[in-house]
Amino acid sequence: MSIDPKAENQFEMSEDLETVEIAKLKKSPGFWKEAWGQFRKRKLAKLALMLVCFLGFIALFSPAIVGTKPVIAKYKGNIYFPAMGYFSPKWEAVFTKDKFYKRYPKTLKVKDPESWAIWPLFFNDPARRVEEDEWPGRAENPQAGEPSSLNFFGTDTRGVDVFAQMVHGTRTALLVGFVSMGIAATIGITMGALAGFFGGWVDTIISRIIEVVMCIPTLVLILALIAVIESPGIWAMMAVIGMTGWTGIARLTRAEFLKLKQMEYVAAARVLGVSPFRIIYKYLLPNALAPVLVPITFGIASAILIESGLSYLGFGAPPPNPSWGKLLRLGQSNYQNWWLILFPGLSIFLTVLAYNLIGEGLQEATDPRLRESGSRE
Amino acid sequence: MLSYIVRRIAIGAFTLLLITFVIYGLIRFMPGTPLTVDMAELDPSKQMSEKRLKELAASYGLDKPWPEAYMLWVGNVFQGDLGRSFSRNKPVADLIGERIGPTLLLSIPSLMLTFFLSIPIGIYSAARSGKPDERVVSTFLYMLYSFPGFVAALFLQLYLAVEFEWFPLFGMVSDNYESMSTFEKVKDLAWHSFLPITVYTYASLAYYSRFVRANLQEVLRQDYIRTAKSKGLGPVRVLWHHAFRNTLIPLVTLVGLTLPSLLSGSVIIEQIFTWPGMGRQFFESITERDYPTVMGLTLMFAVITLAAQLLADVLYAVVDPRIRLDS
Repeated sequence: MSIDPKAENQFEMSEDLETVEIAKLKKSPGFWKEAWGQFRKRKLAKLALMLVCFLGFIALFSPAIVGTKPVIAKYKGNIYFPAMGYFSPKWEAVFTKDKFYKRYPKTLKVKDPESWAIWPLFFNDPARRVEEDEWPGRAENPQAGEPSSLNFFGTDTRGVDVFAQMVHGTRTALLVGFVSMGIAATIGITMGALAGFFGGWVDTIISRIIEVVMCIPTLVLILALIAVIESPGIWAMMAVIGMTGWTGIARLTRAEFLKLKQMEYVAAARVLGVSPFRIIYKYLLPNALAPVLVPITFGIASAILIESGLSYLGFGAPPPNPSWGKLLRLGQSNYQNWWLILFPGLSIFLTVLAYNLIGEGLQEATDPRLRESGSRE
Repeated sequence: MLSYIVRRIAIGAFTLLLITFVIYGLIRFMPGTPLTVDMAELDPSKQMSEKRLKELAASYGLDKPWPEAYMLWVGNVFQGDLGRSFSRNKPVADLIGERIGPTLLLSIPSLMLTFFLSIPIGIYSAARSGKPDERVVSTFLYMLYSFPGFVAALFLQLYLAVEFEWFPLFGMVSDNYESMSTFEKVKDLAWHSFLPITVYTYASLAYYSRFVRANLQEVLRQDYIRTAKSKGLGPVRVLWHHAFRNTLIPLVTLVGLTLPSLLSGSVIIEQIFTWPGMGRQFFESITERDYPTVMGLTLMFAVITLAAQLLADVLYAVVDPRIRLDS
């Protein structure tokens, strides 16, 4: 711990004046600021956080990085953003009505000679094969082609570009991680808080529910739940992953609440007549959040793994959603196409590694007992 | 102690009922029945007539509402009858018996390997904590730990089985297994199980050695270690007799909690290597809507998981006399 030289000077000055001005003393940082300071000291954790931010950037701008739809197009006097059609078909409604059939470059000029467009960085589609001369002078995508200057990561057996699928698959991976863990965290924290705070029969019931969910192998439960839904979309899948992954969080929250509710400030709040839900929300939750954050981070990694595992087994999101796991599935039926396994495999590994490193960094940053061993860098 | 165990078993029995009830309801809500799924997959035109379907459903007991069918199932289980598989036309107990061998063939060697390797690695990295060689080992282990099992399985297949052809790509035995001599049979099995065992081992290896190391570091900070050192004991003696013994307690708990995975196998890994084990059986029986098999497997997993949790808690009290279960 180094003391800020400025603060030291101030201290000396105030001593000279023989009156200690309390207002001028440096304010001690809050818990989260302190934790962030600790987290920043860990080079690997910081690097991992940067990688996740980078992936988020790719996911957000995936239609502008690689796609066959213009990012911005002026068409018949109006400005459109057809590339957003990768997020929702609503953005392309005008072009679907004008019979573009998703072939923009030439159709745009034919239908409206005045039109102009800004194109994505790379011209390739994550869902279909790019045909010959679709982009003036561009050759057709080869089927099961090796990595080349046209297709950086090669193409699959249908001739769909792997790089485009990877970039757009980032969206699926990150979305699944965040949304399903968001659901799991909400269920887990609520259940754990109720069980830990009220105890008694509430605790007994919730603990039994946790035990039931824990005793069924996760993947089996997920497969069973997905089979129940007639046509599982990506959102249903995320809900299912979230609904099965909350037990660890609930147990930890329960333990934290059991510990925290014995504290004197909680007793004081009770004496003052603060309502139980306000005590949970305002007094206990903020203090229980830091330890719970760690399993949530690890949970994001495992949610991404489960999603790619399900896609590998053929139970993933339906066709328009590209996914890293689906590429692996394609790769296993054609081993000579090594690029179908290598690139998605490596990106799953790096993403999981990044989340694990962040989780570990958080654990060390928020748990004072671990700081000693972690601060040697 | 005894009253504690009895109470735990009573709670466990209740939990078991709850688990099987939930799963039974869930599988009966899946679209399609074992009769329709099977036929529609073979040939859509071969779908059975309504009348024939009803007859078959009645003979399998599928026409009853599911809570009633569940009660029947529970009654049969109490009489030691898990039912017959629809799709394989065999008793479920026999089916589980067939599949458990291949899963154990992978999980037991892998667990033993994990132990033999992870304890020395854990002790080594705790003893040399902070030295460059330890940093290299630990970083490598951490990378392994984050490397997803099924991705690793595909990579191993890609390079060791397809590229270099050192190991068979999938399956448990070669085609001409029947005609081999006993020695060749063992060799063939070992050859086929090498890649799956590697995949099973490496992830738990990383986890266990990090676990051993973390616990050992915690113990090494204790006062009695300082006392032992100041008595003039050598580093090896301090590490083995004074430190490592005290890390056995959390290790015992961890072993207890890993026991269920010994039998459950892994759906994805067994699928990748087309290994005829329990995980694959579970996967197949869900897609075939084979209700009795799904229920039998669920029951087995749940019993083992609950038993392992109880065992871990009891062992914990046995190993560490300070812990009392009765309070």
